[in-house]
Amino acid sequence: MSPTTSMSGQLAGRNPANESAPVRIAVKDLNFYYGQFHGLKNVNLNFHDRQVTALIGPSGCGKSTLLRTFNRIYSLYPEQRATGEILLDGQNVLDPKVDLNELRARVGMVFQKPTPFPMSIYDNVAFGLRLYERLPKSELDGRVEDALRKAALWDEVKDKMKQAGTGLSGGQQQRLCIARSVAQRPEVILFDEPTSALDPISTGRIEELIEQLRSEFTIVIVTHNMQQAARISQFTAFMYLGELVEFAPTTKIFMNPDQRQTQDYITGRFG
Amino acid sequence: MDARNPILATAPAAAYPPRANRVRPGRRVADKILIAGSTLATIIGIVVLGSILLMLIVEGIKGFSPMIFTQPTPGPGSEGGGIANAILGSLVLTVIGIVIATPVGVMAGTYLAEYGRNSRLADLIRFLNDILLSAPSILIGLFVYTLMVRPMGTYSGWAGGVALAIIATPVIVRTTEDMLRLVPSQMREAGVALGAPPSHVIKSVTWRAASAGIVTGILLALARIAGETAPLLFTALNNNSWFNANLLGGIPNLPVMIYQFALSPYQNWQSLAWAGALLITVTILALSIVARLVIKDTRAR
Repeated sequence: MSPTTSMSGQLAGRNPANESAPVRIAVKDLNFYYGQFHGLKNVNLNFHDRQVTALIGPSGCGKSTLLRTFNRIYSLYPEQRATGEILLDGQNVLDPKVDLNELRARVGMVFQKPTPFPMSIYDNVAFGLRLYERLPKSELDGRVEDALRKAALWDEVKDKMKQAGTGLSGGQQQRLCIARSVAQRPEVILFDEPTSALDPISTGRIEELIEQLRSEFTIVIVTHNMQQAARISQFTAFMYLGELVEFAPTTKIFMNPDQRQTQDYITGRFG
Repeated sequence: MDARNPILATAPAAAYPPRANRVRPGRRVADKILIAGSTLATIIGIVVLGSILLMLIVEGIKGFSPMIFTQPTPGPGSEGGGIANAILGSLVLTVIGIVIATPVGVMAGTYLAEYGRNSRLADLIRFLNDILLSAPSILIGLFVYTLMVRPMGTYSGWAGGVALAIIATPVIVRTTEDMLRLVPSQMREAGVALGAPPSHVIKSVTWRAASAGIVTGILLALARIAGETAPLLFTALNNNSWFNANLLGGIPNLPVMIYQFALSPYQNWQSLAWAGALLITVTILALSIVARLVIKDTRAR
């Protein structure tokens, strides 16, 4: 008797994984160190184009660490380092010669807590656009509106673009942050537990949004919530103690995992 | 259930005696003593502070007249006079001090909070800054005397301004660093994750997020140096008339004026000292209130 039946309802009717989609990010022999601590151990994994890949696993398993290597945000902290290869469209992002600012414009990131900047809603969304592009006002307006529409926030904020972004509700702030990333037209968007600070209704909206964004962006999401992984992802990677235990289409992970550990985790026997 | 275990044996809730009887009488007494002690200490503090303030207000208002804002300080033995030159001199010295201290303090605080997070140099600077924060201000006056007054051969407003800047800088460094550290690191990461270089993130995100706190620190530093006397004794000295536009020579200023006039035998000098003291106190009070309002305003948002 499979104890995973409670998950199968969540999986019904979702979009199946497209295993033949081209590989957008290829992780090869990735090791990660926090000072002396070995945080990721020989991780090998492919992320497919315009698919949602969920990283799941118990706290401290390295899923956020893995996410934070893709845009090298970890390099803010000198004691953290990574070895191996992460190929984004064939280019190794761990190469020291990579222009980090350009990389981060290609790989957007949304954090656990909403991080609106202390400026107007408009300026928040235009922040990334103003960094490297000199756009005329009309085009900038268009890009901002476009990003807010994609983040399903436009109707709520179109009349108060000059107001502070920090005045929005938590869920709106998170969509503002998504709009800010989307505005830069990245190839990949990384989500680090984007809904764990939000109420269920806001969570639902963000999940719908991620499903819509999938048509344009390759998405990697770290989540503590297995139902969420089941609902929104096409692929799921299960990690434990810094190692990748299993990576497969989400339906397979939740219905018929190969590894005993995966089975135990998704049925709640540990973690 | 184990009958030998007293905790388990008396487990039913109804078995507990009524709540009030469960507190030992000794604790009640200790509680009363503590309340009485801290109330008394507060009253002593308020009475002392209140009487200083009351005396300052009563005596200060007696010496107050429109003339103090228009007339320069009177010579020995002459009647009337004001403190207009000292007010203007103090204003000039304070402005010089804060104009020098603000950029130095804010940039140094930014280095400590943003760039030097893990560096030993930053730890050393932070330590030295804390020493400077509590250094006797007369020492800073002597330092600037050696550094500027002796080589220039004259007391000057510039030397006084620099001495005040040295007092104000560590205050600004400290508050700037503290306020920047309150900005969550996710905010910086979010800026960096959009491809912004750290300098841009500091300029347009972290400084903005901490701006109210930084401004408050500057205002508090302003309040601090507005009333400083010791660093001016060896630098700006004082002057009983208007000062030169090039700020060379003694510059009249309120704190040193108060010091000299209060000790003088002339009755009109003494009442001018009171008026000056009241003026400084009111100014500092106003600055502190503005600083608090700025903080409150941002907390409310």
